[in-house]
Amino acid sequence: MSIEKGKISSQQLLFLIAGFVHGSVLLIDFTVGITEHQTWMVILAGLVITVPVIVSYVALAKRFPGMNLVQINDMVYGRFLGKIISIYYIFFFMMTLSFNIRDVGELYITFLMQDTPFIFLLIVFTATCAFAVAKGVEVLARTSHLFVVTGLFAIISTFILLIDQMDFSNFLPLFELPFIKIFQGIHIVSVIPFGETVVFLMIMGCLNKTEHAVKNTLSGLLVGAVSLFIVAIRNTAVLGRTQTIWTSASFQSIRLINIGTVLTRMDFLIGIAQTILMFLKCSIFLYVTVVAISQLFGLKSYLPLVLPLAGIEVILAATVFQSPVDHATITQNAGIIYSVPLIFVFPPLSLLIAKIRGLPKPERGKGT
Amino acid sequence: MIYLLLIYACIFIINVPGLVKRKEWRELAVFSIFYVIAFALGLMYVLDKPIPSPMKGLQHLIVDILGIEYPQG
Amino acid sequence: MGKKMNFRIMKLIICFFMLPVLSGCLGARQINDLEIVIGMGVDKEEESGNVLLTAQVVKVDMSGGGAANARGGGGEDSEGYWNVSSKGKSIFEAVRQITHKTGNRLFISHNQAVIFGNDVATEGLQAYIDFFLRAHEMRPTALILVSEKKASEVLDAKPETEKYPAMNIAKLVKTYGFTSHFYEVNMEDFASCMMSDTMAPLAPLVSIVQENDCKEIYISGMAAFKNGKMVGTLNHDEARGVLWVLGKVKSGVIIVPSPNKQGEAILEIIKAKSKVKPGIKDGKIVMHIEIKNEVSLSEQTTTEKLATIEALEKIQEATSEVIRQEVMAAFEKSKDLKADIFGFGEMLHKKYSKEWKSIKDNWDEIYPTIELNIDIESKIIKTDLLKKPVSQNKEEK
Repeated sequence: MSIEKGKISSQQLLFLIAGFVHGSVLLIDFTVGITEHQTWMVILAGLVITVPVIVSYVALAKRFPGMNLVQINDMVYGRFLGKIISIYYIFFFMMTLSFNIRDVGELYITFLMQDTPFIFLLIVFTATCAFAVAKGVEVLARTSHLFVVTGLFAIISTFILLIDQMDFSNFLPLFELPFIKIFQGIHIVSVIPFGETVVFLMIMGCLNKTEHAVKNTLSGLLVGAVSLFIVAIRNTAVLGRTQTIWTSASFQSIRLINIGTVLTRMDFLIGIAQTILMFLKCSIFLYVTVVAISQLFGLKSYLPLVLPLAGIEVILAATVFQSPVDHATITQNAGIIYSVPLIFVFPPLSLLIAKIRGLPKPERGKGT
Repeated sequence: MIYLLLIYACIFIINVPGLVKRKEWRELAVFSIFYVIAFALGLMYVLDKPIPSPMKGLQHLIVDILGIEYPQG
Repeated sequence: MGKKMNFRIMKLIICFFMLPVLSGCLGARQINDLEIVIGMGVDKEEESGNVLLTAQVVKVDMSGGGAANARGGGGEDSEGYWNVSSKGKSIFEAVRQITHKTGNRLFISHNQAVIFGNDVATEGLQAYIDFFLRAHEMRPTALILVSEKKASEVLDAKPETEKYPAMNIAKLVKTYGFTSHFYEVNMEDFASCMMSDTMAPLAPLVSIVQENDCKEIYISGMAAFKNGKMVGTLNHDEARGVLWVLGKVKSGVIIVPSPNKQGEAILEIIKAKSKVKPGIKDGKIVMHIEIKNEVSLSEQTTTEKLATIEALEKIQEATSEVIRQEVMAAFEKSKDLKADIFGFGEMLHKKYSKEWKSIKDNWDEIYPTIELNIDIESKIIKTDLLKKPVSQNKEEK
């Protein structure tokens, strides 16, 4: 019944989620322009808000063992409505994947390799993701260990190297900004790094043992959240007022590392670390998209769809926004609004309906 | 332009013979749909034809029609 | 068997074809295509009002040996650097115009210092600083300085012990700790101050002294800016006053009259710390400044024996008095210039955020009414190698 033949252990799930949230480290620049020196609060609040929602995801996956999101939707909402909701999810996956691929391209084109044509970067990156996806989720899970360790090392070492340039009075005054901005910041943070873990509803069907799933999922989320928190604190302490004007506050603070005139110009190292983390995130997204579409059409295997979908994504990533300015404006407004139902409403609703209707029924396939 | 054709030829070669041999017609059908979409998009990109961006449409829908927006500050 | 071989060969061929594609980026530039810039100066041209940009470019001698050999050969006309200048309506335009003279694009990643001429600074740096922050090759750790006259002259002054004027300037600024008469300001700090509503940024001021045909540059103090425009300068003592309050003093010299008023005691600053607490009392803003420092007796011009506890205490008081005067001088100057160079506004903002909203609009009028409550504690911790001064033992035994 399930498309994916591989199985992952729940500890691998931990690393997958941690790596996934890590990949969003540079994406908090979306909130920094809005919440300035209160970004750390916003991250904590976002974490608190998303934890119950994520627990509901795991509960849903435990209730429907071995099934992924599309199958669950079919069972809970009936064939027709379930497919509509799955299409909504697929739209979300495809769009967000194109944003993330585009982010990697923008990272290179703004900071590291300015003259390389945009589309080549996208093609190379997406081709690598496609290759990883074709290998299967087990491979992704195994390599996520390495990526998470790399990411943690990069974040902690940059923090330590910048300690002497930190000025902790930059965090005062504590509650200065109007609440609507904080609310928008919380909205962004709970959707972009944390809420995107809804994609794991497609992967949790592959767990081979579901006892510790909740604990491992929350631990993975916590590891990722702590990294984001450290990055937010580092940026605010080092840059202070100027963090709102730079395109990427993380990059700027890393450029300031200047120890003994030997350890300077570290920003390209961070570019590499960030690319690796985004690779993990995009591979997971691509995998989830491909499996969802295959499931929707009732295919036996998702492999043939990988490459065409990658091709669509590349073109989407190249054309969906005109410039980073567009990207930022749209993400801060419409982008997070349309994904709210998918992240906060549907999974808990599915859980509730499943509980009420007593799903899954062992003999009958779909509801009454 | 050439790269586009090369890449899509490669995709075709990698995927189609296997599908045909295993007589997986359904998979071949879905694959063809997406393949054609991807190729069309790629062609439009290379020929510099404007590709409608779904996000712009969504932004228009949410902000202008439904009126939900955060104050720009 | 044949199919497997085919597949493997195809994979090899694909890998082979990927090699040239993946092995580099299109933006790669070789060293002899680069013009490595180590210093930049921005001036205003008189007639047209355009920007005159001077870039100091390192000459890389490719024929065996490096730039050092170029010096040995020709005497004093072969230098390791070249000051190339160009004009444009904006800085980025001027940067690209330089390719009319050099043929290669400037590579500003190694830029040590950016010097703004006096005319540009008084007009307002807002229009000129954007390029240096936005350009991705530019480092935020580059230093920013203001020249007393023209920036291009500063870049021309050839130093004696350093090969390149720009490196020399950077070295001068970075070693501010020896006198603490100014401090180093990099792009990031300057931008941060400019973004603040009330804080006035400072930058070191470079002057040129003509001494028998040889131009020497030295840092003569600091320039104070308000809203991006240079409004005045601080001399060495006033600049040090600011540094006392900000806790940035590293080392320096303090001269106090000796207790018997017949000479002077000269002290070297070993360590200095400061703490500033803002306070609002009866509607007036009071700043409690606590400065603690340790000094050592480095020189005395009197024959009096100063190594007694009373004498030391008197000297300590005198030191504190000198420091207080420096701080007050700085404060008076800042009141004259109506510039908040200490950052008192930001400190108030952080502590009293509710009151700050009403204060910040009238900051210009409120600033001169600030009361400073200065508490200085100086300690003499050593007297170097002499216990008693060199003198004849007349009365005491």
